[in-house]
Amino acid sequence: MTSATELPAAAPADDETGSTGLGSSPLRTDALPKALGIYPYAADLWAEGLLWGAVLRSPHPHARIVSVDTSAALAVPGVHAVVTAADLPGGSDGGADGATPGPVVADRPVLASGVVRHHGEPVAAVAADHPDTARLAAAAILVEYEVLEPVTDPEAAFHAPPLHPDGNLLRHLPLRTGDPDAVGEIVVEGLYQVGRQDPAPIGAEAGLAVPRPDGGVELHLSSTDPHGDRDRTAACLGLDPDRVRLVVTGVPGATADREDLSFQVTLALLALRTGRPVKMTLTRAESFQAHTTRHPALLRYRHHADADGRLVKVEAQILLDGGAYADVSAEALAAAVAFSVGPYTCPNVFVDAWAVRTNNPPAGRMRGEGALQTCFAYESQLDQLAKQLGVDPLEIRRRNAMSTGDPLPTGQAVTCPAPVTALLDALADSPLPALPLDDPEADWLLPGGPGGAGDPAAVRRGIGYAVGMVHMLGAEGEDEVATATVRVSGDHATVICAAVDSGQGFATLARQIVQSVLGVSEVYIAPVDSDQSAAGPAARGRHTWVSGGAVERAALMVRHQMLQPIAADFGMSVELLTISDGKITSYDGVLGMPVSQALEGRELWATAQCRPHPTEPLDPETGQGDAFVSIAFCAMRAVVDVDIELGAVRVVDVTVAQDVGRALNPRQIENRIEGAVAQGVGLALLENLRTEHGIPLNASLTGYRLPTALDTPDIRIAALLEERDVVAPFGAKAVSAAPAVVAPAAVAAAVRAATGLPVGRLPILPEDATLA
Amino acid sequence: MEHGGNLVNRTIMMPASVDEAVEALAATPGAVPVAGATDLMEAVNGGRLRPAALIGLGRITELRGWRYEDGGTAVLGAGLTHARMDRPDFAALIPALADAARTAGPPQVRNVGTLGGNIATGAPAGDTLPVLAALEATATLARPGTVREVPISHLLTGLDPLRPGELLTWVRVPLLHAPQVFLKSTGRSGPSRAAASVALVLDPARRGVRCAVGAVAPVPLRPLEAESWVAGCIDWDARGEDGAVLIDPAALAAFGEYVAAACVPEGAAGGEGAGPAGARLRRTVAVLARRALGRALK
Repeated sequence: MTSATELPAAAPADDETGSTGLGSSPLRTDALPKALGIYPYAADLWAEGLLWGAVLRSPHPHARIVSVDTSAALAVPGVHAVVTAADLPGGSDGGADGATPGPVVADRPVLASGVVRHHGEPVAAVAADHPDTARLAAAAILVEYEVLEPVTDPEAAFHAPPLHPDGNLLRHLPLRTGDPDAVGEIVVEGLYQVGRQDPAPIGAEAGLAVPRPDGGVELHLSSTDPHGDRDRTAACLGLDPDRVRLVVTGVPGATADREDLSFQVTLALLALRTGRPVKMTLTRAESFQAHTTRHPALLRYRHHADADGRLVKVEAQILLDGGAYADVSAEALAAAVAFSVGPYTCPNVFVDAWAVRTNNPPAGRMRGEGALQTCFAYESQLDQLAKQLGVDPLEIRRRNAMSTGDPLPTGQAVTCPAPVTALLDALADSPLPALPLDDPEADWLLPGGPGGAGDPAAVRRGIGYAVGMVHMLGAEGEDEVATATVRVSGDHATVICAAVDSGQGFATLARQIVQSVLGVSEVYIAPVDSDQSAAGPAARGRHTWVSGGAVERAALMVRHQMLQPIAADFGMSVELLTISDGKITSYDGVLGMPVSQALEGRELWATAQCRPHPTEPLDPETGQGDAFVSIAFCAMRAVVDVDIELGAVRVVDVTVAQDVGRALNPRQIENRIEGAVAQGVGLALLENLRTEHGIPLNASLTGYRLPTALDTPDIRIAALLEERDVVAPFGAKAVSAAPAVVAPAAVAAAVRAATGLPVGRLPILPEDATLA
Repeated sequence: MEHGGNLVNRTIMMPASVDEAVEALAATPGAVPVAGATDLMEAVNGGRLRPAALIGLGRITELRGWRYEDGGTAVLGAGLTHARMDRPDFAALIPALADAARTAGPPQVRNVGTLGGNIATGAPAGDTLPVLAALEATATLARPGTVREVPISHLLTGLDPLRPGELLTWVRVPLLHAPQVFLKSTGRSGPSRAAASVALVLDPARRGVRCAVGAVAPVPLRPLEAESWVAGCIDWDARGEDGAVLIDPAALAAFGEYVAAACVPEGAAGGEGAGPAGARLRRTVAVLARRALGRALK
């Protein structure tokens, strides 16, 4: 993969001239340790006298547990503890007694009791003095199952026997706006399917639990939501939250939640039970069973348009397969419904959406959950519309594009910048990649793999466009807040903020913010643990906004403390002093002093919170309401080569235009876009955790194909549009989710252009791209 | 550490010659010979294999090269790595085997994975296997005092399997001095297992076309009827203006369909060739076989 973008000529290390503030691209704080292999991940942790944990998982997607006999496992020499659901206080349903606030519905047991609802559900766990012993002992636990018929078809879930006491319907959200009888001159219909993408983090789940003398437990793992995880773990263990301390270790990649609750609670329980540190690392196969996937979706759409292609009415039915447990399905459904029309204006919208439980692997949070599935559907619909009208695909999108102030179908006015037309224009102006015919010397990688299967005579090139949107921060009334502390002593600053750098670069951003505000050269970002004030989960672009905002406010308070005595000395107000290049200068440039001198012998600190404006739930009857804080937009052009005989597709180039509000760290933004596009290309062509009767068929990195460098196209940035969002800290928007939402739709559009076929499912299979 | 611990306290021998290796294998029941270990270690790490002892073949230099015999046969050492087979001198000798070696996984795997290992593992998607089947290669299996020669296809199908204590030492491949093609279709551009592969070699001396299809069945499949049919369609003596061997383009397409129908039969519902996946595989094999023959004759 190469990035054709001209980067600002920043040196690989921090520029000594001081270009480390906002808008520059200093080196990521974790880049060197990761490249050198010295970055500590959870799997590297060690404690004297530790035991190893292993989990016994259900081989059935749906079964009643008749009995569990742990005596054989306990008899294995070296085994120190075996735990089952009976060892958990407060019954089996995790957190049911101490139901925790937040978006997570407490329906998922830590260890199954009575019934298992998906393949790989944890049933029991073992701690032993050797990992092999632990695994052997886990296998020796005798579980008698009464196998039940699994519910695997989400459409059948409505009428299937209930998998939980509250039924299989997790949420039904209708949306009604405008005139239901409106009709357009042109009507296009489509049925769309999205497969099951797995986050497949390269670092599998791992953690270490250490019992504390006060009866509590300390968990070392790569959580992305330390406080939420602490509270839920404590509730499941029947402990006060302050008895559980969660220390965040290096996160080995997270595009979804990490280290599911069952893993954390089981680990903590084993440590409490044995009184010794317990370490657990999941194998790749277990990792696929343990974490949640993207929601598979079935979408039926009908678009009405007038003769010019302007949308008159959109009707849609959306079905998300939530799998065995609720997780964040309700939230994903809200996004699917609110963004069901896409970044377009349409006066009449009628949507019904459902999230259901099945015995399939549980679905959860994963970049743009809900928004991604609908983006594929509405963009496919617009392609159909363009084809019917004989209009250029860019033009049909321009005619319907939303602008700032336009309403979403939920009735909420989009008050943040919505530069959809500008994004499309940026794509239109961007040059196309050369055809191999124009450059016969170039090494042309044919679709069908490097095995020589491709044939240039059968290759067709296609160009496709897609635009999409995704919300930032929690929706529907979720309380969004983060707290940060900035301390300055001498010429260096420390940031204490429990926002986890899950790879999104928050630590680098926090450093940039403090350097910009205070002019100090050294900024230390303290490691995160749950004894600090909460900053919330690393998801939905939250940390750039709320945690970045909290760091800025704290830094500004410190700045005020620092400048006040100097301003008094100079006989002017603080507002007339500026800090740049490590110097404090008066407005007229006459007076000045280095920051280090101003700070000499002083220690200043401040703690601040950032809490964006509140949102409200969507109306359960009409789907109306101001549910989102802000929205990010992205437009993409994909160029693909298709071998129309083999049905093989290779993505040649993806060009991105993105609405970023303000580019706080351009290089980091480009990296995030590249990563998200690669993930989107993976979903479009390669990634699908296939199941048969609820059992995953390809739960390995051989069977589950993640895109490699050769599968990833050239990714070019046509524009990072900087129209500041006035309510956001720094005016910046989060960048990672939007390209992941749009990329699959863009690739599908390009395959459609190359083959003329409808392309109604993701991932695209060879038969969807084969011309007979 | 968790995984490495599986091999601690186990016997590991490193013989320096074939004789030593064969002796060691006979003397140590349950010992597993290991060359590149790209398949073996994966099984060990996955907990599926706990070898009682390992016999490392890495120091047996004679097995890492090749020699000629009778002017018409290349005798390849079982320890030839995929990376070595991809080099130009070897590619000039047996081009289809070089092509197969080039696509067998990422460089890290090709640098250590060996020809003998590919055969001994006998994975359905083993890339060199259809080439060896099309070339009608044979394997030399050694035991203390005895050596026997077995067709690779018999070895793979289990008709004449590797017996306890036997070591795969050499692979005999006829040198045909004619075009050979190996085509592998994967679901992506990066290193990947074959969805289907086709090896096709021409044998002008015997006026034959030999073809094997890999990855669609547990072992490479030879569509013998399609081979003999298409050999009869080729005008072996005439040459086109561009020097190509003459064949009716319709015969090329028919050959593809013939091979696909033979190797991925439609069969019963629920079988290998049934449903959309079966249709997709048939189509891929047909296209590969057609393209392979077309390129061989060009």
